[in-house]
Amino acid sequence: MNELPLKREAGWYKDSIIYQIHVRTFSDANGDGVGDFPGLAQRLDYVQELGVNAIWLMPFFPSPLRDDGYDIAEYKSVHPSYGTLEDFKNFLAIAHERGIRVIIELVLNHTSDQHPWFLESRSSHDNPKRDWYVWSDTDSKYRGTRIIFLDTEMSNWAWDPISKAYYWHRFFSHQPDLNYDNPAVREEMWNVMKFWLELGVDGFRLDAVPYLIEREATSCENLPETHAIIRDLRRKVDEQFPGTLLLAEANQWPADLRPYFGDGDEFHMAFHFPLMPRMFMGLRLEDRKPITEILQQTPAIPASCQWCLFLRNHDELTLEMVTDAERDYMYDLYARDKAMRLNLGIRRRLAPLLDNDRRRIELMNGMLMSMPGTPIIYYGDEIGMGDNVYLGDRNGVRTPMQWSGGWNGGFSAADPESLYSPPILNPVYGYQAVNVLSQRRTPHSLLSWMRHIIEIRRSTPVFGSGSIEFLYPANHRILAYVRQLGKETILVVNNLSSAAQAVELDLRRYTGNILIEMFGRNIFPRIGDLPYLLTLGPYQFFWFRLRRI
Amino acid sequence: MAEETLLTDDFVRQLINVGEVDLVVGLCTHNNSKTIEPIVRAIQAGILKCFPRERAAIINADGGSQDGTPKLVTGASIDDVWNASKVYALRTLHAISTTYARTPDPSTALRTILEAADLLRARACVLISPDSTTIEPDWLQHLARPIFYDNFDLVCPIYRRKRSEGVLVRNLLYPMTRSIYGYRVREPYASEFAISSRLASNFLNQEIWKQDWSRMGPEISLTITAVTGKYRIAQSFLGTKVAPGRSTADLVSVMRRTVGALFSSLDVNFPVWSTITGSEPVSTLDGQPEGMPESLRINRKHLRDMFASGVAQLETVFRSILSPPTFSELQRIATLGVGEFNYPADVWAKTVFEFAASYHRSVINRDHILQALVPLYRGRSLTFLLENRDGSVESDETREESLCGEFERLKPYLLEIWGNGK
Repeated sequence: MNELPLKREAGWYKDSIIYQIHVRTFSDANGDGVGDFPGLAQRLDYVQELGVNAIWLMPFFPSPLRDDGYDIAEYKSVHPSYGTLEDFKNFLAIAHERGIRVIIELVLNHTSDQHPWFLESRSSHDNPKRDWYVWSDTDSKYRGTRIIFLDTEMSNWAWDPISKAYYWHRFFSHQPDLNYDNPAVREEMWNVMKFWLELGVDGFRLDAVPYLIEREATSCENLPETHAIIRDLRRKVDEQFPGTLLLAEANQWPADLRPYFGDGDEFHMAFHFPLMPRMFMGLRLEDRKPITEILQQTPAIPASCQWCLFLRNHDELTLEMVTDAERDYMYDLYARDKAMRLNLGIRRRLAPLLDNDRRRIELMNGMLMSMPGTPIIYYGDEIGMGDNVYLGDRNGVRTPMQWSGGWNGGFSAADPESLYSPPILNPVYGYQAVNVLSQRRTPHSLLSWMRHIIEIRRSTPVFGSGSIEFLYPANHRILAYVRQLGKETILVVNNLSSAAQAVELDLRRYTGNILIEMFGRNIFPRIGDLPYLLTLGPYQFFWFRLRRI
Repeated sequence: MAEETLLTDDFVRQLINVGEVDLVVGLCTHNNSKTIEPIVRAIQAGILKCFPRERAAIINADGGSQDGTPKLVTGASIDDVWNASKVYALRTLHAISTTYARTPDPSTALRTILEAADLLRARACVLISPDSTTIEPDWLQHLARPIFYDNFDLVCPIYRRKRSEGVLVRNLLYPMTRSIYGYRVREPYASEFAISSRLASNFLNQEIWKQDWSRMGPEISLTITAVTGKYRIAQSFLGTKVAPGRSTADLVSVMRRTVGALFSSLDVNFPVWSTITGSEPVSTLDGQPEGMPESLRINRKHLRDMFASGVAQLETVFRSILSPPTFSELQRIATLGVGEFNYPADVWAKTVFEFAASYHRSVINRDHILQALVPLYRGRSLTFLLENRDGSVESDETREESLCGEFERLKPYLLEIWGNGK
């Protein structure tokens, strides 16, 4: 096992800021038009400079890439387009040298239909790997199970002409589900995790965890047997690789997600999926209601656990966890062009979603960084990259990182025609207008601002681990909350409105404290017995440190 | 000295918290605790159902209730609406209240709400009566949609009424407003209506509030302002309206607020109405006025006696108000027994116009003129109720149209007597 250059103290993930990267999209070192690990390693200076202290890598394993790597064909290797295992190890070492932890993605639920396990499994009914997947002679089992990719799949069963039977798949039909009732499968998947942990990775983002087990007359989601499998993996991780992070990808309501934390013995972190669309909704409605409502419904989690918060990621802005009325509203306001819609979501990046409005981008990032949870920044959103909804599937938000205004935006020296994806070229979001190089040189660029807020967030542990208490000022356009950890108290006030707002905050319990604005370190008047009056400009937010001096 | 302000600091603070909205639903309350809760719930349901995406606020202007009405308005929980109708609120729905005075004043109440709506930049303001126990959530849609989507400035209601209700509107306010101002607004004195920001702003800026007629009857003055200002007016069918029970004393005050305001409006608007002939229909949405068949129990003797004794007792007053032929005709009618009693449309229209002209010239105290009209109105009511009892619902409409025709036909007579005495 490699010596770990980064000490994995308990709860490290709580104070982290995670940067989500797809190797393919980030930087191409060998000039073949596809991003790779050597390219990524060269860009770690930038990641370090941004201030984040963890990277989440999307799948980089050998794959036919029919689902951008989520269709894995070999778990213990690196896709040849992205480099070699040695390249990965080198990248990992450099990241650790820079104090950046690396979380890799593991798709437990299914493999590619090109995975050798599946090829063997389908080859004959007697094959030893036959039971590694879920087979059936009919397509009528588990009828109560929803179809996730409604736009492309008619059923969760697909007919295999080779073995003349149906196989179960919750995602695309080329992604057969593994059979977790089979102990051999569970053992092999642990071996996969062990392989990467021995190389030194700091954690796993486990994809599609609610779907591991199928049972008749259930939704085949969130079943007790699935939790038992997760608890078993967690136990092994804690025993053999303490400090390793397990992050759940489970697009569920908070109450349904809560069991994935168990008694602190399942996942360390889980994505808070329902919060994200409600942040966008609150912004458009100019009303805190959707945000406070979902956080009120969010159950408490064990002290060692943490929510993972994000604004955008590699998938569509999912609207599965909203009501029909809310979904219609989101579509009308954020995806009027039907090309922007995919499945039950919106395939757009942060900046275009917010009309490239710098104030709204800052406000949303301000909320992301100050709410209870570990924030994730999707690559490119820190410079305001755009998207291309005409690329199909979710590829429009997976375009090459824009490093400069030069050749291919600095992403690759290859001929532009040979890039894995066309870069964004339009005059507003194209790499000549939006790129790292130019924003590095501008102190007031979005990138510079992001570095500043990340720095403040990282230097304020209360954001990572503190409690939250919402204030409910009568002005519903104001989202205000107090974060507290030990003796440190932070007041956050967000104006969700496009107009200036006045708000009176009931801060009597903090009477005698002065407020220190955390970005400019300016002092605001002392809190007295009267309601504390603040005025905020359009989409403005304040972070105040409370000090009793 | 600083000018007196209409909105209290506390109310302004509440308005700041509400912020900009698209829709204000106003209530002018005074001791309405018995009816207000279901009405507020219906309003909430209407907003959630019909305007789920619009920013809305319920604003109550209270005239010094002693029964806790304001708290019932502000405390009505949206959760009840959710539980009852499963209509989900996308955004916060504020309900705020202010006590503008210790005693009710309809003019100040309406002005408070319109000023608040103007401050909040509401595109539409809907007024709902705190007595409207038959309100349905759809009323908001019927009233506000024409303003939001069809650019109307004033949307007046049309109701399904019992045939015995709305007597004053159907016998005086509607026909006279129609003949004077030339628009067929069926409910010119509406307790429910919607108004655009454009009209509200104009109404507030014209300082109409300082004029007697507006203070007396703010609602009818709003209609008249819309008519004389050539604003786009529509009327929308709401459904059943049940009139709250009123005492005789109420009738006098209603006369002041309605007929008094209408008569007063003629003074300032003479240049406008004196040139209008005939009348134009108004866009009518979602249905036509409906009468509900009912078995009427009319105390004919009582009404006839009130009329006859009024004609006898107020002879001196009537001789200063009415022309000799008209008064003679009333005296003749007063001799009729219950069985043959009839106060015909042409005589009624002439009576009303002569009262209006006398009111204009203030031949006696104006309030006395209005009070003198009450017994004559009783007589006309008796004729109206008898006709309605015996005829079909369809023939009600024909008679109403005929009465309006008489008012329009006699308008030159009003002009003739307007400045000249009887």
